[in-house]
Amino acid sequence: MTTKRRAAALAALAALVLVACGGPGTGGANSGVLGGIHNPSDTRGGTLRYANSGDWDSLDPADTYYGYSWNFARLYGRALVMFKPAPGAQGATLVPDLAESLGRSSDDAKSWTYTLRPGVKFDDGTPVTSKDVKYAVERSLDKTTFPNGPTYFNDVLDLQGYTSPYADPDPDKLGLKAIETPDDRTIVFHLRKPFSGFDYLAQIPATMPVPRAKDTGSKYKEHVVSTGPYLFQTNELGKRFTMVRNPQWDPATDPNRHPLPDTITVDLNVNADDIDNRLLAGDLDVAIEGSGVGPSAQGRILGDQGLRASTDSALVARLWYTAINPDVAPLDNIHCRKAVLYAADRVGYQRAYGGGTGGEIATNLLPPVIPGAQRFDLYPSPKHLGDIAKAKDELAQCGQPNGFTTGISYRAERPKEKATAEALQQSLARAGIKLEIKPYPLADYLKLYAGKPDYAKANNLGLIVYGWGADWPDGYGFLAQIVDSRVIRSTGGNSNLGIKDPAIDQMLDQALVTADTAAREQIWLGIDRKVMEDAFVLPGVWAKGLLYRPPNLTNVFISDGFQMYDYLTLGTTRR
Amino acid sequence: MGAYVVRRMIAAVILLLIVTAATFVVFFLVPRLAGATPEDLASRYVGRTASPAVIHQIAVKLGFTDPIWVQYGRFVKGLVLGADYSTGPTTVHCPAPCFGYSFLTQNPVLPDLLDRLPVTMSLAAGGAAIWLVAGVSTGVISALRRGSVFDRAAMGVALAGVSLPIFFTGLLALAIFSYWLGITAPGGSYVPIQENPLRWAYSLLLPWITLAFLYAAAYARLTRAGMLDTMGEDFIRTARAKGLPERTVVLKHGLRSALTPILTIFGLDLGLLLGGAILTESTYSLPGIGKYSVDAVVNNDLPKVLGVVLVGSIFIIAANLVVDLLYAVVDPRVRT
Amino acid sequence: MPGMSGQGREGTAIQGRSLWQIAWGRLKRDRVALAGGGVVVGLMLVAIFAPVIVAVLGHPPLEFHYDKIDPDLQVPRGHFGGISPDFLFGAEPVNGRDVFSRVVYGSRISLLIAFLATLLSVLLGTVAGVIAGYFGGWIDTLISRTMDVFLAFPLLLFAIALAGVVPDRAFGLAGDTLRIALMVFIIGFFSWPYIGRIIRGQALSLREREFIDAARSLGARSPRILFTEMLPNLAAPILIYSTLLIPTNILFEAALSFLSVGVRPPTPTWGGMLSEATHWFQIAPNFMLFPGLAIFITVLAFNLFGDGLRDALDPRSR
Repeated sequence: MTTKRRAAALAALAALVLVACGGPGTGGANSGVLGGIHNPSDTRGGTLRYANSGDWDSLDPADTYYGYSWNFARLYGRALVMFKPAPGAQGATLVPDLAESLGRSSDDAKSWTYTLRPGVKFDDGTPVTSKDVKYAVERSLDKTTFPNGPTYFNDVLDLQGYTSPYADPDPDKLGLKAIETPDDRTIVFHLRKPFSGFDYLAQIPATMPVPRAKDTGSKYKEHVVSTGPYLFQTNELGKRFTMVRNPQWDPATDPNRHPLPDTITVDLNVNADDIDNRLLAGDLDVAIEGSGVGPSAQGRILGDQGLRASTDSALVARLWYTAINPDVAPLDNIHCRKAVLYAADRVGYQRAYGGGTGGEIATNLLPPVIPGAQRFDLYPSPKHLGDIAKAKDELAQCGQPNGFTTGISYRAERPKEKATAEALQQSLARAGIKLEIKPYPLADYLKLYAGKPDYAKANNLGLIVYGWGADWPDGYGFLAQIVDSRVIRSTGGNSNLGIKDPAIDQMLDQALVTADTAAREQIWLGIDRKVMEDAFVLPGVWAKGLLYRPPNLTNVFISDGFQMYDYLTLGTTRR
Repeated sequence: MGAYVVRRMIAAVILLLIVTAATFVVFFLVPRLAGATPEDLASRYVGRTASPAVIHQIAVKLGFTDPIWVQYGRFVKGLVLGADYSTGPTTVHCPAPCFGYSFLTQNPVLPDLLDRLPVTMSLAAGGAAIWLVAGVSTGVISALRRGSVFDRAAMGVALAGVSLPIFFTGLLALAIFSYWLGITAPGGSYVPIQENPLRWAYSLLLPWITLAFLYAAAYARLTRAGMLDTMGEDFIRTARAKGLPERTVVLKHGLRSALTPILTIFGLDLGLLLGGAILTESTYSLPGIGKYSVDAVVNNDLPKVLGVVLVGSIFIIAANLVVDLLYAVVDPRVRT
Repeated sequence: MPGMSGQGREGTAIQGRSLWQIAWGRLKRDRVALAGGGVVVGLMLVAIFAPVIVAVLGHPPLEFHYDKIDPDLQVPRGHFGGISPDFLFGAEPVNGRDVFSRVVYGSRISLLIAFLATLLSVLLGTVAGVIAGYFGGWIDTLISRTMDVFLAFPLLLFAIALAGVVPDRAFGLAGDTLRIALMVFIIGFFSWPYIGRIIRGQALSLREREFIDAARSLGARSPRILFTEMLPNLAAPILIYSTLLIPTNILFEAALSFLSVGVRPPTPTWGGMLSEATHWFQIAPNFMLFPGLAIFITVLAFNLFGDGLRDALDPRSR
């Protein structure tokens, strides 16, 4: 019972911190004009047109790990809890969705109970029970069938060896002991270790119910059964899909959603520049990835006062950074790593990401939009241009007075990462550090190359250009997957690219059992500082996205939960 | 004739098998030469939580540990009989002809290809129609008015045309016509013909012209040379001497015989069009086979690459076959 | 056909001039071809003396010039990509590199790969073609079928796939050297059948000619006939098709670079620049225009010269 109050306190504090950080575009709260909502409207009808420059990892709620996808999934699925569809900091607060209230935890925060709202149905009219939620979480554990989704439930649930409902001897495929369903409306999660922020996990789409009768494993993404206000009318994988209103969705069971458009269309695999042009031409309503317009459109928009007024600058909980790999000599020596940090020209890094529009120069890890984050700079240099004298001094201490040669990897399909690699090659050369540029295919970057320790070491990948966005706006949601040395797997696929410090691991564990939010935030800060002291990361840019808002779009606002437009509330005046 | 056709068909199938075998060898050997183990290949298809033992298990299950000829045999068997694939607990049946199964996106390759074929077909059909008409008519007029201003200008443009890469003319055309003048569709706005024929044509207009420009130039040059050759031949002189109107001489006698080699080349070019489609579809981001193949290569999705190579080879070999058979009909001496 | 059987030996008394002299006489009168040839020579000089040219007229091709870039828009300041006497072709978006220098240096990669690849395919094609055409029989069948297989490959697709999977270090090579060698191999190795077919046809018809028969009846052995009798007579078609193959290979290399599987950044290539320009061409047209024009002019010059050469050496084709 205490946890509920704790969560509320956390939310309130989060709101406070965010508001304190300042107005639109400068940092902190992503709130705009008129109570944060542009073009407020409650007019229903019309077709809202989205486009995606790539493709979903999957529409299956068990198998998706993109922020935009989690934002969008709320249109066709109801998780136990959700980020509140509200502007600014309010959007980062959790509210009950399928559940009647936020999770009730046991005193040791090791088991969490939710009660489902009555009357929620699948789009075929079948009532949703707690067993459907349990089954959904169970199947999300099977990372062979669903390799894309996050692994939080695998990590925190007390699995006792359970791997997958598809290999489950239980006739109902509900053999997982870690989740109990005492009745059709109650679900209880049992954790391996205390986890005070479990509600954040309960908002992951993996808790959206899946009817076992309709589950087709890896093919379920073709026919996802909806519990939200929209259902899939057509779904051509990799090309486009259309959604229409779900007649089985009952507004009486759902206080959070007020869906406006009658139809939603999404085009996939559309060239990014073409998406921007179509947005500006009124041919399209939303670029679904929410990462902001590309360089061409940015140039056109910033050069035109009218267009400029129709944009929002979203401060994103994402850090573009370059990992300094301590496995690769001479970067195993902390002084050589520090030399990299001193020699790098941060302005050049920022330019690679589009200058001030693309983000702020980062000097440490935690993005300012995350509650409790603080800026500090352990490697200061005039105007962030780099301090070559200090760099050479560190090089001397490292025993490499004339510099050294190492590799820098980036994802070939990312022009900004290429620009980063080229810029670092130039700026580090000033201190005698020579970089060999090595592009790798995006799809296998973590699995086979940079994220595979043996490969990175053997191929001399001393610097690894990368970026990380918070899974949710909270210290744990940002840090857990990139600083915990225990998540590094020799088989590859790591997002921790070489941060190995037992002290950091210990602090993470401590944070999970720390109930007090302020104390926990201090621990996140401590981890941030330790990583910088160890010089494992060259922070580049705290990302911002320049989002364009076509005039026909109504009810537009940026939610701090997703740091992009909230897709649940959007409407259109176009008929 | 029947025996000849059968012989050629068998030869075409053998050729196809050799091409796929070579593709198979190259794409299975190169990663291994680069030091990738079967487990590395398999690790791309399992989740992040998989242990080395599980990865090895999957590698064995997917057959990555088998010798290369066993794997190729399985591929051919899949083509003929269909195949069953299972990465996880579920098994997917890929009916014959199974062009392979992508473990990355977990679906058979053939439906994907068939899905994208209409786009590439649309591009090819429209482009080919434009280049054939524009190229041949320009060539004929040039040949008839040899040395005229038209001839010189046309041949100048034609030479420029064969010297311009599609991805440059494409960008240039987009910049001028779509973004500056705003009269054509921007890239990436493909609309299927069954949805709206008008918008279909509108969205493909620029890609058609870009693709056609390259080929029209070559065809104009070929037609002109062919016409000049034929118009000097005896039978044309005979036709003229018989007092036939010049129009009949040119169109009925001259063009007909000049066109035969052009049509041969046209057949072969259509077969080879995948190369042009790759660049055109990349430049205009059209969701066709060309774009699909580039995406497959970028994502290192081997089964898809293999599938596209197979389709590309089928087109080339089929085009060759058709051209050869047509030749055999026209000229019986070929049937040896 | 007096032109074809030239090269002294027979017919010298009648003609008095060799094929090459006649051809040169024709080529001299073809001003368009000569202009093309002039541009080709000029481009080669540019490639060879790139460092000197850039030292005088530009800036090092990898040097950043942030002062030339608008920090908000990331595009060059000034008109049309910041063209000025200092930056002849303007600057590159984001980092302000000198587009002129990068286009000049790009010519090195482009021409080097095109020449070497052409050399490789002409070598392979000629050897295979001559052997097939001269020996005939099962040897001819084998080689011809091999060529059929090569011609049945979707070439560009195969090339991007292959170039994409080769690792950083292979065959004892690394960096640009490896990528250049790889491009040469891919382009050269897969395009030899085109020239091979033509040479085979020519060799086939030469085989039946009297002077080869004469040599054979005089007891000359096959290798001798191949090298001293056949090859000189094949010199003209080899030269023509080599010249016409170079521009094709330049386009091929540019396409591979455009699809990001060519020589790696930051080394400048024309195709690579165009590929990056796809993100910028609406607001920094200079970045697309100059590398594109460089490809166009180079390919056009080679085509003009090649056409002229063919007309001069083989007047029937006119």
